Amino acid sequence: MKDFLSKHGMWILAAMAAVAVLLSVLSYFASTSTLLRNAAGVALSPFRAASEAANRWLEDKRHYYQEYNDLVEENAALREEIAELRANARQVERDREENAKLRELIGLREQRRDFDFESAMILERSTSNWTRTLTLNQGTAHGVAVNNVVVTSEGYLIGVVTEAGLNWCTVQTIIDTDTELGALLFRTGDVVIAEGDFTLMREKRLKVTYLPPDTPLLVGDYIVTSGLGGYYPSNIVIGTVERVETDDDGLAQYAVLAPMCDFDTQTEVFIIKAFDIVE
Amino acid sequence: MLTRRDIIIKWSSYGVVSLGLLLLFSLTLRGTEILGVRMFLPPLLVGVVASVEDTRAGALYGFAVGLLCDLTLSGTFPCVYTLSFTLAAVCCSLLAKGVLQRGVLCSLAVTGLTFFFLDAFNMLSLWLRARAPFSEMAQLALRETVASCLLLVVCHPALLALHRKFTI
Repeated sequence: MKDFLSKHGMWILAAMAAVAVLLSVLSYFASTSTLLRNAAGVALSPFRAASEAANRWLEDKRHYYQEYNDLVEENAALREEIAELRANARQVERDREENAKLRELIGLREQRRDFDFESAMILERSTSNWTRTLTLNQGTAHGVAVNNVVVTSEGYLIGVVTEAGLNWCTVQTIIDTDTELGALLFRTGDVVIAEGDFTLMREKRLKVTYLPPDTPLLVGDYIVTSGLGGYYPSNIVIGTVERVETDDDGLAQYAVLAPMCDFDTQTEVFIIKAFDIVE
Repeated sequence: MLTRRDIIIKWSSYGVVSLGLLLLFSLTLRGTEILGVRMFLPPLLVGVVASVEDTRAGALYGFAVGLLCDLTLSGTFPCVYTLSFTLAAVCCSLLAKGVLQRGVLCSLAVTGLTFFFLDAFNMLSLWLRARAPFSEMAQLALRETVASCLLLVVCHPALLALHRKFTI
């Protein structure tokens, strides 16, 4: 091969130069690609296609990783933004709930300007099967005292404080067996007694005794605190009459009262620390 | 014969295990109702410990648990747990020493006895104050005892293992 090139190299070079000149002259005068060029292009096209495909694939990969990295960064930024927005939304929700409660309280305060309220959270519900009490997170340090009345944000009676510690107090709910309150039949103004009953306690109900003999009770009648004696504030809704039953001795009737509040779902309550006595 | 140090460690261990069981119970099963009633753990602790320890130690343990309950839980009258658990512990100890052999049946019996004392005081108190019907109260007491006995599955082995650790 080395001898061939050394012997005929000059001739080959001259031939190639002649072909190149010929092709140049032909391409100058022709309107389409020349045969040789066309042939070369046809021969090269698969390689070109393969090369292009490989390049495109590599470019795609490069773009993919580039975009992936960009997306990861964007995703992280968006996640942060979402977390921030969610935190804001939660705060807004909390603020709205607090606002609603405060509005209710203001409403309650506007209705009952004679009340001095203290808001409290329920820390514990009684675990015993024999009593129904709640433990709240406010105590004597906040001005809470025994016999303070506890109501919901809507103003429905929950119970009465029976024990007060420095930063806690125990509330005997209205369905507890020991509860006894002076009450009024709101529709007629008749004085009755609302008291806890052992059997009804399990149904989360209490009973109304000393019913007026000539006043028919209606289901849904409101029973409110009477305020007589000045121990508890007046006109706080205790519950509504659910049914009327006869005592075991068959002589007297009593009404079963459904409290307006749900003791199991309440989380925040209000303690009435002081009130004006309205006789 | 246990030394003073062993006795201190033993009763500290009883205290820690009892508080641990109470904490575990309050975190998991406190609101659970079985047979329409909530289970109540302290009488089981008193009954089981009193049945395996001597009368005086059992009574002291019952007194301590009762005092703790009176200080932290609501009762039908102020010292109901202290009174009933101390009395129950003495009776459980005597029953376990004189009549029954230590085991699951003994634990069941002493648990029932502790609930009997506690519920008897509860019933008497509610009857005197509110004339609550005895039949209703007895039913509640029975259901509470049966439901709470299920907790022996955890209490009995834990407390018995602790007792064995310090006696063998």
